[in-house]
Amino acid sequence: MQITEIFSSQLPVGETLSIKRNRYEPTQKQENLKRISIVSGTHGDELEGQYVIYLLSSWLNKNQSHINGIIDLYPAVNALGIDSITRGFPLYEVDLNRAFPGGKEEYLPGQIVYALAQDVKGSDIAIDIHSSNIFLREIPQIRINKEFSAFTLPHAKELNCDFIWIHDAVTVLEATFSHTLNEMGTKTLVVEMGVGMRLTKEYGVQLLNGILNLMKKEGIIVTDEEFEAREPFLSEVGEVFYLNAPTSGLFVPELSHCAIISKDEKIGTIVNPLDGAILETIYAPSGGILFTLREYPIVYEGSLLVRIFGNNDEKN
Amino acid sequence: MKKIEILRINSLNRAPLIVEGYLFEGSNPDAPTVAVVGAMEGKTILPLYTASKLVDFLKNSMSDSQNILGNILVIPSINHYALNINERFWPLDKTNLNTMFPGYAEGETTQRIAKRLFDAISGYTHGIILENREDLSTCFPYVRLFQSGYEDIENSKKFGYKIVHHKELRPTDTVSLQYNWQLWGTKAYSIMCPNETQIDMNGSHEVLEGIISFLSKNKIIKYKVLNGYESTVITKEDIEIVKTPKSGIFIPTKQIGSHVIKDETIGKIIHAIEGEVIHKIVAPSNGVIACHYKNGLIFENAVSFRIIKSG
Ligand SMILES: [Zn+2]
Repeated sequence: MQITEIFSSQLPVGETLSIKRNRYEPTQKQENLKRISIVSGTHGDELEGQYVIYLLSSWLNKNQSHINGIIDLYPAVNALGIDSITRGFPLYEVDLNRAFPGGKEEYLPGQIVYALAQDVKGSDIAIDIHSSNIFLREIPQIRINKEFSAFTLPHAKELNCDFIWIHDAVTVLEATFSHTLNEMGTKTLVVEMGVGMRLTKEYGVQLLNGILNLMKKEGIIVTDEEFEAREPFLSEVGEVFYLNAPTSGLFVPELSHCAIISKDEKIGTIVNPLDGAILETIYAPSGGILFTLREYPIVYEGSLLVRIFGNNDEKN
Repeated sequence: MKKIEILRINSLNRAPLIVEGYLFEGSNPDAPTVAVVGAMEGKTILPLYTASKLVDFLKNSMSDSQNILGNILVIPSINHYALNINERFWPLDKTNLNTMFPGYAEGETTQRIAKRLFDAISGYTHGIILENREDLSTCFPYVRLFQSGYEDIENSKKFGYKIVHHKELRPTDTVSLQYNWQLWGTKAYSIMCPNETQIDMNGSHEVLEGIISFLSKNKIIKYKVLNGYESTVITKEDIEIVKTPKSGIFIPTKQIGSHVIKDETIGKIIHAIEGEVIHKIVAPSNGVIACHYKNGLIFENAVSFRIIKSG
């Protein structure tokens, strides 16, 4: 275990901002070790990754002799945001995951993402753990850009997640951590799970198992311990249905997250507390797995309520 | 003049957001047309003020409505919800409207707002977007044009601002209004407004005067204007970025628009606790100050000034 500062900046009033990395490596120095980097907290309101990295560092502390590669942990990229419940970088209100690759000459958010990208560069694998936002709850899933899927999909399958979502390339997403690192040759996977501002302990344990499984397969850890890797659903075999609020109001869900639902099943209602009116009743547009569910009850017209992964037959 | 409803979004606890446009119909069907988009975000005043004063000008200062030659649509505010509570972005989910274009009718709230706005402003010859710099600095008014392949540099000089910044396109700019408007055939221009929180009677009219000059020179209105500046087109290479190696209390000592000479002191950093000057900011070259950081506290390695090099 070796904690280093990958970036530091003297703040205006009596405080130093520092972004830290913890490195685990074999006690005996060796050449050509595989390297994995685990990143979280790019969005300050997402904390699930903090718990996963805690579980991982405590596992590594107990299993130092099984370490056969370099494992770098970066739990809190947006340190100021995490401690102030701010999704973006405070003051500038900028999304750090739209600020890559950044640069030394840029403003502070740009300097931080640049330092992170430069530090992670050279890793064989990187995992960027997100936990949705404060509005939506997600089952553990991997998001993959089609452009890099041939390169990253095999690893994604080892991570013990429930769903792998392969999406089209979008220009605006070129400013993300995963795009930047994939371009640099690091196989980078984005995990989305849980919800903002909270910990979902069972998901933390689930992803820990996945990360240990992947590290074992890659020879980064050597152990007889068996780790679970469940078979994920692949977005390619079905279709993702989005359901946005047709009207503004208070959304009261009827179903629990991660449920298997059938078409036209009642998902919830949008109500008005002032007069007791039910403004809309929401029904499932397709059968399948409800993998995203609205957590923050206030909705505007357009607010996402659920995402359902259904199979193609269901649609036809 | 016709007041038209551009979009309406209901809210559980707030009055509906009703975005209205003011359409001034031109007397000459062959004249070019223009749409002007005011405040898309809150926490600043000039985009709103300029657009609302433009409505006032077109309504009350044109002696003869026949002198409005081409159709002019002005939408002074899109994001009343943010402006009213001093938020910068959409108050519920904090998304930035200017990253939602061309919009999506079936999507998230701000994508829907963007879509309805975009539909209402499509098809105009020219499009003017009143914006603020995103980086907490303030500047003199200038035109920002992306290097998109669709931009009209010559015409952007007709605002008569000191500079036209011809800026390279970043991935995140592909979801901006300017880029998408260009893509769909409107000659769009972003006017970067001084990032003020109060109206200053001396400087705040400058943005409006530029728009009136643009309308007149493009024969959208018939109105005699005084000439502004002969705009200089600048790119990245013309801008000298002045950073402060120390954080602390930032005091600019030279104003925006000032000519400075190499090695001249233009600002200082004061130790935030002990009060002494810990860094003097000097001009790295001769030029004109275009922007400076606008908050009292500044980060380490932050951009304190942007100077347009001369000489
Ligand atoms: Zn995130």
